[in-house]
Amino acid sequence: MNLKTAAKVTAVAGASLLFLAACGSKNSSSSSSKATANMTMSAELPTMDLSKSTDVVSSDMLNNTNEGLYRIGKNGSITPGIAKATKISNGGKTYTFTLRKNAKWSNGDKVTAKDFVYGWQRTVNPKTASQYAYLYSGIKNADQIVNGKKPVSSLGIKADGDYKLVVTLDKPIAYFKKLMGFVNFYPQNESVAKKYGSKYGTTSTAMVYNGPYKMTGWTGTNLSWTLKKNNDYWDKKAVKMDSIKYQVVKDQSTGLNLFNSNKADDTTLSSQQVKNYKTNKNYLVRKTASTFYVELNRKDSDSTIAKAFKNKKIRQALSYAINRNEYVKNTLGDGSTVAKGYVSQDLAKNPKTGKDFTDDAYVASGVTYNQAKAKQLWKEGMKEIGETKLNIKLLSDDTDGAKKSTEYIQGAWEKLPGLTVTNQNVPFKTRLQRSQNGNFDTVISAWNADFTDPISFLSLFTSDNSYNNGRYNSAEYDSLIKKAEGTDANNASARWTDMVNAEKQLMNDQGVIPIYQKAEAHLTRTNLKGIIWNTAGTNYNLKYMSVK
Amino acid sequence: MRKYLLKRIFYLFLTLFIVATATFFLMKLMPGTPLQNEAKLTPSEKAAILAQYGLDKPVWLQYFIYIGGIFKGSLGLSFQFSDQAVSYLIGSRMGPSMQLGGQALVVGIIFGIILGAIGAIRKDTWADRLATILSILGIAVPSFVLAILLQYYLGLKTGWFPVAGWSGFAYTLLPTLALAASPLAETARFIRTDMVDVLSSDYIELAKAKGLSKFGIVYHHALRNSLIPMVTLIGPLAAALMTGSMVVENIFSVPGIGEQFVKSILVNDYPTIMGVTIFYSALLCLLLLLTDIVYGIIDPRIRLSGNGD
Amino acid sequence: MADNPKDIQLTSADFAPLDKQAGPDNERIAAPSLTFGQDVWRRLKSNKTAFTSFIILVLMFLIAFGGQAIYHHDPNAQEPKYANLPPKIPGVNIHGLNGHLTQSGQDVDAYKQAGAGSNVHYILGTDYLGRDLLARIMYGTRISLEIALIATLIDLTIGVGFGIISGWKGGRVDLFMQRVIEVLSSIPQLVVMVLMATAFTKTGMASIIAAIAITGWTTMARLTRAQTLQLKNQDFILAARTLGESAPKIAWKHLLPNLSSVIIIQTMFTIPSAIFFEAFLSYIGIGISSPQASLGTLISDGQKNFQFLPYQMWYPAIVLIILMLAFNLLGDGMRDAFDPKSKR
Repeated sequence: MNLKTAAKVTAVAGASLLFLAACGSKNSSSSSSKATANMTMSAELPTMDLSKSTDVVSSDMLNNTNEGLYRIGKNGSITPGIAKATKISNGGKTYTFTLRKNAKWSNGDKVTAKDFVYGWQRTVNPKTASQYAYLYSGIKNADQIVNGKKPVSSLGIKADGDYKLVVTLDKPIAYFKKLMGFVNFYPQNESVAKKYGSKYGTTSTAMVYNGPYKMTGWTGTNLSWTLKKNNDYWDKKAVKMDSIKYQVVKDQSTGLNLFNSNKADDTTLSSQQVKNYKTNKNYLVRKTASTFYVELNRKDSDSTIAKAFKNKKIRQALSYAINRNEYVKNTLGDGSTVAKGYVSQDLAKNPKTGKDFTDDAYVASGVTYNQAKAKQLWKEGMKEIGETKLNIKLLSDDTDGAKKSTEYIQGAWEKLPGLTVTNQNVPFKTRLQRSQNGNFDTVISAWNADFTDPISFLSLFTSDNSYNNGRYNSAEYDSLIKKAEGTDANNASARWTDMVNAEKQLMNDQGVIPIYQKAEAHLTRTNLKGIIWNTAGTNYNLKYMSVK
Repeated sequence: MRKYLLKRIFYLFLTLFIVATATFFLMKLMPGTPLQNEAKLTPSEKAAILAQYGLDKPVWLQYFIYIGGIFKGSLGLSFQFSDQAVSYLIGSRMGPSMQLGGQALVVGIIFGIILGAIGAIRKDTWADRLATILSILGIAVPSFVLAILLQYYLGLKTGWFPVAGWSGFAYTLLPTLALAASPLAETARFIRTDMVDVLSSDYIELAKAKGLSKFGIVYHHALRNSLIPMVTLIGPLAAALMTGSMVVENIFSVPGIGEQFVKSILVNDYPTIMGVTIFYSALLCLLLLLTDIVYGIIDPRIRLSGNGD
Repeated sequence: MADNPKDIQLTSADFAPLDKQAGPDNERIAAPSLTFGQDVWRRLKSNKTAFTSFIILVLMFLIAFGGQAIYHHDPNAQEPKYANLPPKIPGVNIHGLNGHLTQSGQDVDAYKQAGAGSNVHYILGTDYLGRDLLARIMYGTRISLEIALIATLIDLTIGVGFGIISGWKGGRVDLFMQRVIEVLSSIPQLVVMVLMATAFTKTGMASIIAAIAITGWTTMARLTRAQTLQLKNQDFILAARTLGESAPKIAWKHLLPNLSSVIIIQTMFTIPSAIFFEAFLSYIGIGISSPQASLGTLISDGQKNFQFLPYQMWYPAIVLIILMLAFNLLGDGMRDAFDPKSKR
């Protein structure tokens, strides 16, 4: 009996090997006739509901299966979407969009101005419980509607016939067109949303698409799905791919193994993997508009620490003590770069000279390493506050990268005499909550710009902003940001100067300690062409993607 | 028998009730809400979102709603997937986990029995030693180490098996192998010890004296007697598989419950943690009950009665 | 003639005591008299595998707890410029131990690449922050062994105590206590671990210990109870009770020594499972937190570099495997040694 069973099991194993081989050959032969690619994702897809998307995976998928008034193209440029023409009037407070008539949903319905009105109203409706409705702030009555003080119908968006859309703003918004490329502003098909009710957007079938691709095979909780070419898309001629397969891979070693066995065409790399693949022809570094920085709690419950962090010399000493170059190169090693300031590099360019924001607003003292200077400033600062010893805690996430960061900064800071640092690595949400409650001494925070404008970063450190965890407080900074958002909103170069000055102010005060700008190292097969990688908002635009 | 069954079922519910209560209140002590970017939300937005998840009510009421919901098969809404019920999440993730667990159990037990029997029959020979080493290694090498090695050497280096993913039987082989190691080892150990005892007992001597073939003795007498107590092992083995599945599924990108459980822990998705906890406990309780019943049926010496142990 | 009792002649000489030294041969105990412990030790020594395991464990304990006295390297000292260096033992020129690496298909001297002088060498290489891997493995082993010791302690106090009380008291108390165990043991241990790990916002030793304290001892309690039930009706216990000994004293003086074999064997199986659980939890990221290291976190860190720097996973994995092997084999050996049936 034993032998027989053993023989049977071996037979099964053998048969499955054959089956496998058959599978493999089928794949390779089919790829020649049809354009397909295999992509990986590092997390599950939590939703396909345009009103409820808050994460990168869902916004990536929604951005490529749906389309709004505009589509964000190369280098953050604004390329045509459903809007054919735009008219700005009333001092930048009224936008009139003319929509193209050939835009269709994947169920055959036409995309009309009413779909935009429905989608927007659905997102700001408190009943929908969207978590990104705050982006609508600035559109007429949006804030009041979100707070339940005004009816949804009072939102500043009106359909004038099927193909004309009028949007009214409370005040001019300099980056309004960029916002329109953000998935939360895309149109939604009312009949489909009503048909599926609370199931809307929870599976690939309970959703309708008006973008380059449509999604299939997503059950709502599984780890793989496919984007297929959408033949109802108005610009389908531009779409070269027949299908793009997705596989969620949470383990980076697994991702690399998949890439090396030709089962994935794109995967992200960890730092050690980068070291070994730097010279690989498929190696690609994707800069992101994301800065990692340390916040110091000026309202710390421990009065000694609060006193210390109010001292500029101590803040500067802590900044000078960090050797960002070494950290980025040796510890992180994933292609991330030393932060040139708080606002990330390659995000925005001077409207006149074309110079990068970080060049215009560069303050060397805010981001340089100089241990001698650090020690000197530290001693002076400690003398000024009359202390010799300081015990602080460093709060951060419990992810791999975050642990590395805390360990490194702990090591760097403890070289300052009399300073001891305890690391607190907690889950992401706990970190956020503790940051917001001011329950920390120092915290490593990260900010990822929602759209490609420095204000997406800078608005965080006005004294009343809820993300200003360290309670940085500067009247000058506040007034500069207010000017950029208000009086100078329609004057691009004056607005630019305001923002540059604000950044300089923040850095001269050492209000935060920028560490590095995040980059994502990828292995992306060189035969994949035409992927547009974005730095802010969604990761990529696959409309023009092709395989050679 | 009936009285015994009723009693066991009562304890099953008691256990689940305790687990549900303990998890519920533990989770209430934790920080973390379904709110994604709390700082940007206005109080009324927060209230609306919390109301959607039923978190606006006092804790005691939430508790009764939760417990009541379990009877209706509702385990609340997941924090990480929007509008996704935990029960749906578990239901849709159950298949792959069950398949892997079942396959691993079958492979593990069959090969474990073979290995254990060889060890017992050829006691103190090189075959026995080899079998022992293999089974001890199965216990000593953690499943996560084994999974990494299997994926790298059998998946990538040789290309014999798919590296990761879940689309067809071939994709189940490596994870099954990684999971099967521990039940295989436990079974082999158990069978060997038990059969060594049995093989030296009087009735085996008698069978030998009668001139039965060695195979006949092992198959008809020794193995059968050792297999009966084997049934009691299945409960603990299944519990160990649950543990193993958490990392093995993660490494091989299998859309199973274990993988989801780890993710939920890391992102503080409390409703899912609670739901999966209750699911795991129920599964284990049921398995324990089933093995006891099966044991009572196949072993006439055990009488299931309500009294005593 | 002697058959007739009347013919027996008794003289006073017949009542002289026999020479004690020259007693009847058949009553002499041939083997030297051994205490229980000595007997076990003797049999353990004769079981080569178990004895080797025992020696290995003693060595590992010594290295883990005392190794730092000889190998002066701080497990947490970072040297980022020397990050990810492969093992280098001076004077040894075997690939894998000479500081060379295969990078993008080429053999490179990683130490030279990092600008390290000839006096820099790490016996087991360094990790991603340039920390000495050998020091970290020693440290990790210590954490694993500490967890094992604590698990043992819990087993011995809660488990044994619970079992003895339950078995000794009997009746309703026993019934209730048995139900408690029944409930506890049908909760998967993993679930308790996870709940504790989430409950203690700061993950680390505390959560692992709490989890072990909740469920880790049930098997021990069950075994001691069964044994106690058997023992409590035996004559020597009855005698002690009749003589008016207090219950705690009976438990301590009479029960425990007789329970010791069960207890020791069970401990030998608790330890590896505790070590495994710690490694597992740390591997999935809810166990020991940085900068502390355990074998689980080291394996998890090493796994990410497995394709290029396999040593970063292999070394901690090998230590963990040896630890698990040794405890399991020793446990098997102990069981044989205590089992009266296997007495040779």
